[in-house]
Amino acid sequence: MARSASGFSLAQSGGGPLRGVLGTSLGWTSWALFGSLLLHIDRTPLWVTFVACALIAWRLLAEAHPVRLPGKIARVAIALILVMAVFVRFRTLNGLHAGTVLLLLMSAIKLLETQARRDQYIVLGGSLFLLLAACLERQDLLRMPLYVLQAWLTCGALAIVAYAPDKMPATATSPMEHVGGFDTRAALLLAGRTLLYSVPLAILLFILFPRVQGAFWAVPRSDDAATGLSDTMSPGSISQLTSSYDIAFRAKFEGKVPPPQERYWRGPVLHQFDGYTWTRAPYGAYPAEPLEYLGHPYYYRVSLEPSQQPWWLALDTVAEIPTPKASVTYDHALIGSEPVTELTTYVAVSYTATRTTQPLSKRARQIETTLPAGRNPRSVQLAREMRGRVGSDGAYVAAILDFLRTGGFVYSLTPPLLNKDSVDDFLFNTRSGFCGHYASAFVTLMRAANVPARVVTGYLGGEWNPIGRYLVLRQSDAHAWAEVWLDGQGWTRFDPTTVVEPDRLTRGMLDLLPDSGSREARLVHGSPTLAHLLARWDAANAWWNDHVVKFDYAAQLNLLSRLGIGSPDLQTLGWGFLGALSLWLGWMAWQFGRAVPRARPDRLGRAYARLCRKLARAGLPPRAAHEGPLAYADALSAKTPDLAPQIRRLLARYAELRYGEEQASYDTEVREFERGVGALTL
Amino acid sequence: MAAWVRRRQGADVLPLTLQRRRLYILPTRAGLGFLVLLLFMLIAGLNYANSLALFLTFLLSGFVLVTMQLSHRNLLGTSLHAAVAPPTFAQRAGNLRLTLENPAVAPRYQVESGLSDEPARTTDIPARGRSHIDLPVSAAKRGIVMLDRLRLTTTHPFGLFRTWTWVHAPIQMLVYPRPFGSLPMPNESGRKSGARSRGDSGADEWHGLRPFRDGDSPRQVDWKAYAREAPLLVKEYSATGSELRIFRFGQLPGLGTEARLEQLSRWVVDAEERGDRYGLELPGVRITPDRGAEHRHKCLAALALYELDPQQPAKDRQ
Repeated sequence: MARSASGFSLAQSGGGPLRGVLGTSLGWTSWALFGSLLLHIDRTPLWVTFVACALIAWRLLAEAHPVRLPGKIARVAIALILVMAVFVRFRTLNGLHAGTVLLLLMSAIKLLETQARRDQYIVLGGSLFLLLAACLERQDLLRMPLYVLQAWLTCGALAIVAYAPDKMPATATSPMEHVGGFDTRAALLLAGRTLLYSVPLAILLFILFPRVQGAFWAVPRSDDAATGLSDTMSPGSISQLTSSYDIAFRAKFEGKVPPPQERYWRGPVLHQFDGYTWTRAPYGAYPAEPLEYLGHPYYYRVSLEPSQQPWWLALDTVAEIPTPKASVTYDHALIGSEPVTELTTYVAVSYTATRTTQPLSKRARQIETTLPAGRNPRSVQLAREMRGRVGSDGAYVAAILDFLRTGGFVYSLTPPLLNKDSVDDFLFNTRSGFCGHYASAFVTLMRAANVPARVVTGYLGGEWNPIGRYLVLRQSDAHAWAEVWLDGQGWTRFDPTTVVEPDRLTRGMLDLLPDSGSREARLVHGSPTLAHLLARWDAANAWWNDHVVKFDYAAQLNLLSRLGIGSPDLQTLGWGFLGALSLWLGWMAWQFGRAVPRARPDRLGRAYARLCRKLARAGLPPRAAHEGPLAYADALSAKTPDLAPQIRRLLARYAELRYGEEQASYDTEVREFERGVGALTL
Repeated sequence: MAAWVRRRQGADVLPLTLQRRRLYILPTRAGLGFLVLLLFMLIAGLNYANSLALFLTFLLSGFVLVTMQLSHRNLLGTSLHAAVAPPTFAQRAGNLRLTLENPAVAPRYQVESGLSDEPARTTDIPARGRSHIDLPVSAAKRGIVMLDRLRLTTTHPFGLFRTWTWVHAPIQMLVYPRPFGSLPMPNESGRKSGARSRGDSGADEWHGLRPFRDGDSPRQVDWKAYAREAPLLVKEYSATGSELRIFRFGQLPGLGTEARLEQLSRWVVDAEERGDRYGLELPGVRITPDRGAEHRHKCLAALALYELDPQQPAKDRQ
């Protein structure tokens, strides 16, 4: 077996054990492909993973055991069947998801027919592109070690493939004389070092390479399931979210941070009620009221995690959003032009207090006071009675809040199920509910008394990260509240939940309802150390998201201007890049050049060189290259008979130290010789 | 290209250390494929405006550039210490042995060498060490083959770039005439060479060992035994009673020049194998009878160069 001792062979000849095959270049190519398979394992259908694994195993088994590989026709047939299967499953071969699956399967089939080095290069190229697809799909900091490992593994496999003989050796004996040393370990080390050396250039290009605004072709939508807030609200829909510890978004404030009671983050506003479920009204159902902003503005930057929904969360009420990719709706929610399929960052300006002095339009009043006919009759009756007893809408709101406060209502994450007349059932029977129940009941009571009101969903509060100095809003912070139209004031926020449970404003869900939330949330909640570590980790994630994942055209301009390149044009960037590139190449040449150290004479040799220089400076003939110390002494004694004995003694001493038998006192004698050289006066 | 390189570099003298200005580098097919892959990656990364994908692309671009440097380094500073082609017979496999030296503390891998139309051979060179490459050389005709164009190549590491150089050293390979022909060997009848006295130098039959005496040639000392801490011994040879033969060009009428030379070559080879003493007479050349490897070479070289101007070597390889 050629090179089996320390090098690689393409294939194991004869029925060796499978373990031997895994160490060959074929084995390493398979490992690289398997690594990319693992990166996509949670996003690919199970059958794809299974088929790819089976194809890899088939190829490897064929090396070790008498298993036959498919012929050309069979391979083409398998490939066609798989392409069709992918098409049936995804309805397309295009797009990130289908394309990834297709590339994965085709690489596995390529592996099946792999014989020569060229085939293995192609499989490794496929692995690298699958790594790229993984980068396109997900950019979590947590996955970075996996990506780094996969890049390393693939490049290591490349080194191994390049070193192994091209084809299966025809004869058992290799004509090559193998020195050894370049084994798996050396290959992986080489790949790792090469990648490390390329990091400076990668960073440089990352910063300087011009980004394009907009895509060359439309990026197909992801078919991931939507998460977070939805467009509808029925009893229990929000409490489902509280079991999720996932992050909805992070918000970093510039300047003042709003106090806890003003941290309402507005999401979709719901207008229509069928007695059980709240839904949105058609877009632009009525015109937006002109707002008068009160108090001071809050400036902040949100980085929104993908939700597959169009809603961009903003602090209530958003005043400005300087991007054309999102707009403010008539009900002051922020909606993006596309669903949020990737991490999205934006800056916004909000005021927490507003006023509208104009009257509500007729159309709006009609929409916001409509209730389903014949539903929740007891609530409607209650509302009419109570409205009759007070003089104004404002007093009515206060009376209803008082009713909720004193009516024996309980804040609970797991309330009993409600029947079709959900508000009646809640107000008069169960009296136990979550924010959705309270908002729904409150708005129903308002509308029943002909007071315009609507349900607002969004997030409340947020956890302050002291390391990154930003707010983290999790899915468990999802909330619903109400807005009531009061003449002279406009839409006014009322949060009936906080009437029942005032602590909801300032404390997290877990303080209030220890049984709520996911297991990891409770775990973190119970341990301050863990909470601190988690805050650190989250700050690292936030930094990663802001500075790496979202390093776009604007961030590039920003960084360059901070580096002192005010208005970078392509030419400046080009020159900067060339300069830095040459620095990098020079640095590398220097690094590699150190591998050939110049031979440096030892201590004795240096003293001898010093002596010879000294003699030459004194005007004596310099030592010729071919002259030994004694021959040189002979040559000198002819020139300077008076100094000769002294010089001869030193030169002879050198010859003795250099060529004589080494004594125990060698070091002392060398030092003595050095002193003798120093003491020589000419 | 070849002529340009030759003009640019001039003729080389061994030992030759490979310097920067004589190393050429281009991507291999795999390297070009890798560049295409990078281009696709860049387009995908830009289209999705995905930082991570772009970073991966840039990292792999850096990887390619570092690989280029490493490949260059793998050959730079290597020295071609010697290139020796022992004489061979026409139409037999000859061999050019290259000795490559690596002065660096890191080993060099997969240094490949080849003559322009022969298969290449590969070797690794250990750190601060040497290794050999044996290149097959074949020659159709007797004479001198000039191996003046030698290629040293490496694609290590990763096989993305090919670094190579051409060496134009005047390496000559002597090609003896093919031993061919079936005519009986002439015999100098009645004249035996006779036994010579013991201790006579020359490549005679092995006789034995005796202690070293002053005045003995160092070439006859059994150094191997001395290395095994045996006393200094001297190898002794003696000539056995064998035939004395003179091979004459003029003895072979009716054959062409080349056929005569081939027949003479056959006789020389056979006589040497049998342990005979033999001499050679060619028009203008006369080699007195003797035996041994040196004598055999002398005779065969005379046959190889017969009627050839040594300054005008056979051009059949270039």
